[in-house]
Parts: sequence; structure tokens; C-alpha cells
Amino acid sequence: MTDVLIKLENVWKTYKLGETPLSVLRGVNLEITQGSFVTIMGPSGSGKSTLMYMLGLLDTPSQGNILLQGQDTTNFSEDKLAEVRGKRIGFIFQQFNLLQNLTALENVMLPMIFQGISEGKRKEKAKQLLESVSLGHRINHKPSEMSGGEQQRIAIARSLVNDPEILIADEPTGNLDSTTGKAVMEILTKLHREQKKTIVVVTHDPNIAKYSQNVIHIQDGLIVANHFQESEILWQK
Amino acid sequence: MAKIDINNLKEYLKIAVKTISTRRIRSWLTTIGIVIGVFLIVSLLSLSQGLKNAVLQQLNMMGKDLITIMPGDITNVSSMMSGQKLTDADLKIIKETEGVDIIVAMDYTSVVARYDNQKKTVLIYGADWRNDLDIFKNDMGWSVSQGQWPSPGRAEVVVGSIVASDTFGGLRVGNEIVIKGRKFIVAGILNSVGSKQDDSMIGVDSNIFQSITGERNGAKMTMAKIEAGYSADFVAEKLKSNLNENRKRQIGQKENDSSYTVLTSATLSSIVGNVMGLIQAVIIGFASIAIVVGGIGIMNTMYTSVSERTKEIGIMKAIGAKNRTIITIFLIESGIFGMLGGVGGTLLGLIFAKTIEIYFQIHPLFYLRADVSPGLILFSLSFSFVIGCVSGYFPARAAAKLKPVDALRYE
Repeated sequence: MTDVLIKLENVWKTYKLGETPLSVLRGVNLEITQGSFVTIMGPSGSGKSTLMYMLGLLDTPSQGNILLQGQDTTNFSEDKLAEVRGKRIGFIFQQFNLLQNLTALENVMLPMIFQGISEGKRKEKAKQLLESVSLGHRINHKPSEMSGGEQQRIAIARSLVNDPEILIADEPTGNLDSTTGKAVMEILTKLHREQKKTIVVVTHDPNIAKYSQNVIHIQDGLIVANHFQESEILWQK
Repeated sequence: MAKIDINNLKEYLKIAVKTISTRRIRSWLTTIGIVIGVFLIVSLLSLSQGLKNAVLQQLNMMGKDLITIMPGDITNVSSMMSGQKLTDADLKIIKETEGVDIIVAMDYTSVVARYDNQKKTVLIYGADWRNDLDIFKNDMGWSVSQGQWPSPGRAEVVVGSIVASDTFGGLRVGNEIVIKGRKFIVAGILNSVGSKQDDSMIGVDSNIFQSITGERNGAKMTMAKIEAGYSADFVAEKLKSNLNENRKRQIGQKENDSSYTVLTSATLSSIVGNVMGLIQAVIIGFASIAIVVGGIGIMNTMYTSVSERTKEIGIMKAIGAKNRTIITIFLIESGIFGMLGGVGGTLLGLIFAKTIEIYFQIHPLFYLRADVSPGLILFSLSFSFVIGCVSGYFPARAAAKLKPVDALRYE
């Protein structure tokens, strides 16, 4: 049996819109196993982004528990959660979410600064990662001087610097054309295959889902389907 | 854990500097708020301290064993303005008071003097060159820069430094000055004694002074030199009581009306110190208000910055920034505003104070040296830095309190 990395137990997220409470997640139970490649799909407003924020420990449930390798995170302080995110989770966003004032290299080094890693090590690791996503020649450029695909590759490099166990990607190809999007997905697939990273991709694009072994459909705050693909994944074709 | 943050201060400083430099105009405007306050503190305090020093220095030149006696009460302006004089009887009492060695009766009046077809109103004073010269030279610290002191009884004058440089520009030893139709030879020109009024006066023999002005009795003020072994305070008290008793006897005053002012150099110094201290306190008060207003400007800028960078804060939190990391970054930023304002204000204040000092060297109204102490600079810099940090604290805390998910969703 494979290890469970993240487990959601009866997770609810309820917002108050004026007087009426609105439940975005309604009792979600989910297990993400170590080394899996999971796609979460659903139409907009289905709660898939909220689910992603829960899995990334960026948000806390109104009810229910989130377990990280069996450890309940409910009572973690904000700083503890920040530490866990910094060390064990890497994020890739649709909008890339790079700091515009910083160069590619500085953006990639930032998560290591928060972990107190020395400058020499930071530079070495960041350069190496930027080279691995074919951006070794553009390390001193700012995000505004780069294309969408390049920015997303910086973001991928940034998500990897602290060697996280899990990568969470929110519509990683949403702002990219199909060729660039494919390149990004190939990088993620490679990370999964070669480095055994656990990868969670949130998307509404069925083509993206083809890359993964486990596709989860969410609708109206509930998981309506959770199926596993038997065959080897698309990138091989 | 806090140790990690200290090691990272350099990195956070870099981030803060980058942010500040990308919002250049706003950063300058924010800084100017602090610059103005610090500028006021540095320039006005250094100038007022310089003024205080100038006055005290002048008082110190007078010597510790001289007591100044003037008619009227120094705390009562109308009695000082009434033009009273010390009578001959007063002078006699002063001379006979226990502890008084010799006295110099100073009488002065304004007259029109003529030199080389220029007519100017000047103050002339009568001096007994035979008996009083010693006090002028040794106790009051006066000295001639050119020529010599006038000979007793001769139609000679000694002029203050400003008379030769300014009032009658080009006046030299041996030139002729006409006062009230009588010709005088300039025997000497004095070195500056440190006060514009004293440097603008012309000294003549006391007998000649009486004959050309008609002021034969009494004196406007007198200086008493204390005998060795007596304290200035003791003699000052004696002088006061003797003079008041005599006045009571003469005109039967019931009240103990202190219609004489008896000042030792110590009391004069403390009066000057108190007045200048008060002025400086007012300056500090107003300039501090200016700095606090500048601080509110910083706070405003920082709140704007927090709301503009909500998303950025969310990103940093998502990739592992703790709350105190966010607070530190924002505090450094506002601290830089305060510090920059402090440095800018200090520099501008120094330049302004030095300009004023140079102006007064060229146009000697009085002698003013801007006194810029390291303590003053340290105070302004640290005060402005602290104001910067304090103003940044609440915006920084607001930034740190943002939930990562809300901050990331913010557009």
C-alpha cells in the first residue's frame, strides 16, 4: 500500500455572503498518495480552487481536518503553516505570481531566503534550476521582460528550490498557448516520473487531465467522480 | 528562529530598496515630509545654540568679578525704558559699598558724527582713560587692533571695529572725526568685542563727553569691580540693599521697590541660558510636530503600499514567508523613509545654518556661528528613523495579518 501524503477528512468551507451562508466545499474526503499525479477538474464555481488552497495549506477548513502524512494541521499556527508550505509544498499559479521587482534569479531564490539558506547555496541551486528549465541565459531579466512560457518556467523553478514533496499547480497552462502549455506539462510530467514528485494539477481542460493517473471531478463542492487511468500516460505517445 | 530573520535582514533590505526605487516619485514625496521637520530641527537648533554661545561668550569676556548696575527693574520693561540714570549719589553709594574695589561709570548717548562728508548717528561713551583703562583692558577684554588707546584729556577717540569697517568705511588711525562741531583724531581702532552695539561705539574722554553732551551728572550704567576675597553674589546683595535704602530715605518709598538692577556675570548667563533654552524648547516642539506629520505621511504611503502589494504579500506567504518576515520587510521600508528623511533634512539643515553663518560674517549684525553638535545630528537621525519605524508598524501588521488565500485572490 502506498503512503498517504495529504488526507482531507470531511472538509467544509463555508463563507458568509450577507446573511446566507455559502458552502463552497461540502464534506470533501480525499487522499493524495505519495508519488501520484492527480488532476482536479470541475467547472468554474465548483470549488476546485478552494480545494487546491486547502491541499496547499493556504486556507483552513471551516470544519473537518487536513492531515499531512498523518499529522493533523488544524491547530498549526500561521507561522507553522508558512514553514510547512515553504519546505514541503511548491506552488505554480495560472498568473505565474512572480514578484515583478525581482529578477528571475531573485524570484527563484526567494523561498530559500525564507528558509534561511546561505547566499552561496541559494545562488547555486537557483541557477541550476533555471538552467534545467532552459532559462540559464535569462537569469537577470525581470518577469516583465519575458514571455508567458518563460515566466511559468521561472515559477516552476521557484516551486522546486526547497525540494518539496508535492507540487500544486493551479491552471498552469491557462495563460499559455497550446505549444508552450504542452512544454510546461512535459516538465511537470518529467518531475513526476524522474524525481517521484507528487503533483496536483487543478484545471478545467480535459487535455491536461490526460497526463495524470488520477482524475478527480468536483461539482458544487462535492467530489462526484474519482477515477484512475490504467494506461501509461499521454506524454509517452 | 529569530536568528534566521537577522541573517536575512540584508536580503529583506534589498527587497525593500527595490520596492522603494520602483515607486520613485511617491518615495521622494514621502521622504520630503520628514526632511522638512529634520531640516527645521537641525538648522534652527544649531543657529539658536550658536546665538546662545555668542551671547554667553560675550558675557564671559566681561570677567567674573564685574557687577553691572543699572537703574530700573530688569523684569519691568517700563522702568527700563524710562531713561532713568544713576545719580551721582548712587554712584557714591556703589563706590563705598563693602567689597567694591573700583567702579566704571558708563555714560553714553547718540550723537551725529561726521567723517569725510558722511554724517551718521553713532553712540559715543565717556571713559576715564586714566583710571578705567585697566578695567576695559583686563576685565572686559577690550583691545586695540590698530593705533593705541586715547590719551587722557586729549581730543582723541577710540572707535569700535564696526565703526571703521562699516559705519565710516575706510576710517583709519589718524583720521579726523567731527562730533558736535569739535574735531577728534582717531587714536585707535578696537578689536571686535563680540557685540554689534559695543563694536559700533566711539569712546571719548569722560570730561570731553560731559562738555559736548551736557550730561554732567550720573551715568546710564556702572560697572563695579569686586575687591579680592569677596563673592560677586555677596557684593551684589549689598549693593542692592544699600541703593534701595538710600532711595527710601530720599523719597520715602514704603514698598521695597527694587528699582535697581544689579547683575553679576553668573546671573546674566543664567538669564540668557533660560531664555535661549525656552526658545529652543519651542523650536523642538514645532519641528517635532513637523516630523510627526511627516510620519503620518509615511503611514499613509505604507498603507497604500500594503493594499497595492496585497497579491505580492500573498505570494510571499504562499512560498513560505512568516508573519514576522512580512512585518520586517515593511518596517525596513518605512524605516528607510525615516532614515532618508533624517539624512536629507540634516544635510539641508547644515547647509542652511552654514549659509546663515557666512551671511553674518559678511554682514556682521552680530556674531553667529552655527553650533552643530554630534548629539544634535544623532538625535535627528535616530528620531526620524524611529518615527519611520513607528509609522510603518501598523501598516506592516496589517500586511502580515492578511490571509494567504485572500491575498492571492486579490486582483
